[in-house]
Amino acid sequence: MFIARSEYDRGIKYVSSFPESRLSSTSNTPPSTFSPEGRLFQVEYSLEAIKLGSTAIGVATGSGVILGVEKRVTSTLLETSSVEKIVEIDRHIGCAMSGLQADARSMVEHARVESQNHAFHYNEPLRVESCTQSICDLAIRFGEGAEGEESIMSRPFGVALLVAGIDEDGPQLYHAEPSGTFYRYDAKAIGSGSEGAQAELQNEFHKSLTLQEAETLVLKTLKQVMEEKLDSKNVQLASVTKEKGFRIYSDGEMAEVVGRVPTN
Amino acid sequence: MLNANSPLASGPSYSFATPPNQTSTNIKQHSFNPYTDNGGSTLGITGDDFAILAGDTRSTSGYNINTRYAPKVFKIGEDDGTGESAHIVLSVVGFAADGNALKERLNAIVKMYRYQHGKPMSVKACAQRLSTILYGKRFFPYYVHAILGGLDEEGKGALYSYDPVGSYEREQCRAAGAAASLIMPFLDNQVNFKNQYIPGSGEGHALEARKATPLPRAEVEQLVRDAFTSAVERHIEVGDGLQMLVVTKNGIEEIYDPLKKD
Repeated sequence: MFIARSEYDRGIKYVSSFPESRLSSTSNTPPSTFSPEGRLFQVEYSLEAIKLGSTAIGVATGSGVILGVEKRVTSTLLETSSVEKIVEIDRHIGCAMSGLQADARSMVEHARVESQNHAFHYNEPLRVESCTQSICDLAIRFGEGAEGEESIMSRPFGVALLVAGIDEDGPQLYHAEPSGTFYRYDAKAIGSGSEGAQAELQNEFHKSLTLQEAETLVLKTLKQVMEEKLDSKNVQLASVTKEKGFRIYSDGEMAEVVGRVPTN
Repeated sequence: MLNANSPLASGPSYSFATPPNQTSTNIKQHSFNPYTDNGGSTLGITGDDFAILAGDTRSTSGYNINTRYAPKVFKIGEDDGTGESAHIVLSVVGFAADGNALKERLNAIVKMYRYQHGKPMSVKACAQRLSTILYGKRFFPYYVHAILGGLDEEGKGALYSYDPVGSYEREQCRAAGAAASLIMPFLDNQVNFKNQYIPGSGEGHALEARKATPLPRAEVEQLVRDAFTSAVERHIEVGDGLQMLVVTKNGIEEIYDPLKKD
């Protein structure tokens, strides 16, 4: 009838071979059930999943936001241009991801629809914070509904996003987590190398960074935490500026910025 | 809506009075008309740094007056009843029940917008939203002519007028409702200076038209009063009271003037 307490605490979905125990409420713990210590393990595990992902960095300056990601080139036969870790949400908003990419697809799709809907209804671009909020609204739908109805999601998303955009309040960078919380950052690193990268950003960031300096800061930081040797093929940059909106750097531009990164 | 068998056939339409239609020997055709025309008129004029929306306060059904005070102009998105936080005004004329429903809905949406996006809705955004609300009921429309007023991003007076299914346009002035056909030509001439030419500026096609310039507030207020006192004389569905909402950078001011009650 009762399962081992340690398993229960970890929120493990227990499926008994005895049919009568399926009726027991404790034997089938949904991902949104608190442990007795007050933790949601599935959410905490999803945060761990992100730490396995490739590093992504965002830096906000007064003139725009720079996003940079590491592409893990696991094989020399891999076509690097097919690794898409920075995507456009709208002309003024883009995002970088770390974690389960497939999960990010549905979040980005949701954000794109939300952004287009806003433009349709209000004849104005969606604010960056509102866009991030809508992504997080989707992210917390992993639990049961208010009336106890079955959830459409079996687990939280396993991906974190860096949402970069520009609106009437200027360039902004947000970090959205699978738990549904989000914060605004001047500079933020997510993924496997995030701890080292965040410390580096902490040291190097200042309010008067130019866009060019932000480009090199992102690459320099990525370089320090990457296992592979950084080149123009295994990293990707994107910017969001007032003039050009969201833009992914071309191969030529990438080569130029990579050339600017100090070699040591 | 007008029914040939109705005793009111020659007067204002009154849908509830529509009797069963006896077509031939013993076939009776019943019908239900969900709309009523509640008469009245509204009008909006913009200036350089203000917008005025006005409407009479009479509500009619056929030859009956339901009430002498039923406002047709509303503040949109105020959160405390003082009007200080509101900066958008809406006027609705036509079917009063639909007008009220539309007002309530837009009001709720504008308030929700501020909570969701952390900023007040601009008049431009509100104008687009009102259009999508109206078009959303394309096949059972809100039977109203709406006018939306406020100040744009540059602080200039902004006015948007709508048809019942959401087609809209930004204009300098617009009259709507029962006496629209009486007031609009007056506005064309007095606000946009249509058919006004500069004396002695030339012959025939060379005659120079008078350029329209934004009018000062006092002048516009007087134009509104004149438009309504004239409309009251010529239209039975217009009268009782004149309500004006003036949007300036300092907020919304409400002015009430009596009109003839006959």
